[in-house]
Amino acid sequence: MAQLVEIIGVTHNPVLPGIFQQRMDADPQVRPAWNNFHLMGEKLAAARPDVVIVAAGDHLNQWFMDNMPPFVVGKAPLARGPFPHELSLHALQPYEVPVDVDVAQALLRGGYEHGVDFAFSDEFRLDHAFTMPLTYLRPAQDLPIVPLWTNVMAPPIPPARRFYDVGLAIREVIEALPGDKRVAVVASGHMANGVGGPAMRRFQDNPELPFDLEMKARLEAGDVEAVLREATWEKLMAVGNGTPGFLDFVLLLGVARGARPSYVALNATRVTAASFFMSWDAPDGGPR
Amino acid sequence: MSRYHVDKVMRELIQDEAAAAAFRADPAAYVAPRDLDPEERAALIACDYRTLYRLGAHPFLLWGYVRAAQAEHAPESRAYADALAPLGTPDFGT
Repeated sequence: MAQLVEIIGVTHNPVLPGIFQQRMDADPQVRPAWNNFHLMGEKLAAARPDVVIVAAGDHLNQWFMDNMPPFVVGKAPLARGPFPHELSLHALQPYEVPVDVDVAQALLRGGYEHGVDFAFSDEFRLDHAFTMPLTYLRPAQDLPIVPLWTNVMAPPIPPARRFYDVGLAIREVIEALPGDKRVAVVASGHMANGVGGPAMRRFQDNPELPFDLEMKARLEAGDVEAVLREATWEKLMAVGNGTPGFLDFVLLLGVARGARPSYVALNATRVTAASFFMSWDAPDGGPR
Repeated sequence: MSRYHVDKVMRELIQDEAAAAAFRADPAAYVAPRDLDPEERAALIACDYRTLYRLGAHPFLLWGYVRAAQAEHAPESRAYADALAPLGTPDFGT
């Protein structure tokens, strides 16, 4: 029987690698964010997964409004990224790993059984929402993944409850996998942030936002209904046009079946948007 | 409104440096064949990001487009964000 061995949520802010490399002391909360990435990498290593399902929102790089899927499973044998224009804009690194095609197929087939019609793709590139976190969580690039894209950018996006339900379905599929595969689920997202909108530089004046603190408290408490109630499109957009990226953390909450996380951390800085981290360690209670 | 086509032009310039160079060389020629309203077309040519934002251009693409279209002449991010602040949060659904 397959085992869900770790659930991890992290930020995917593409500005952070440059700050980590050149301005570690620019704000007292930068180094703690760096430490949290490494802590999450240690948790992932300790869980000894055979495969990581990675859920993240593409930034209109791979998917666009000519054909915009809500949830897409990548099932090509190889996943690589980020996009060339992202490499020229940010201090990102190339990332390339195999895809566990069996688990990708299981997600697609199992999704239908559990009420989720995932789209799929056999040709894609990962953007920084995948590669930036993986660079820190698994720098060796030796662990197969299954990419799962979510639409958090192009309205109408799925509502929060749908993200939660997709997470529940993913958990069901993992538990029904044949064999003794060890599976981790990672999602990347955001707390309140804006890119290209009026909130883009808000962190300079207000690094610690009520939205972030309140959502962190709801997640810590495992208060699923409050999280879902406060994560509507309108409420997320009201605190910055990038904030719907929070919904990928809601998906993780579904994978965890609403359980309280083992670890939650928020690092708010005046040099870039706040970083958020959470994990559920040994979520199915099995041995590590 | 043809927000989809505005977004499409902006995405091209972000992802393709050759397209961005062609746009910078002759923005009117670049957008000439596109299915745009007159106001959208004029704003794209002029890189009038306040108007594009007000008309519902996707904010994430808009910021990338401003940098691709104006290169070293692009505004600082703080000045850009402050210029948009009075406009609120227009609907950017296509």
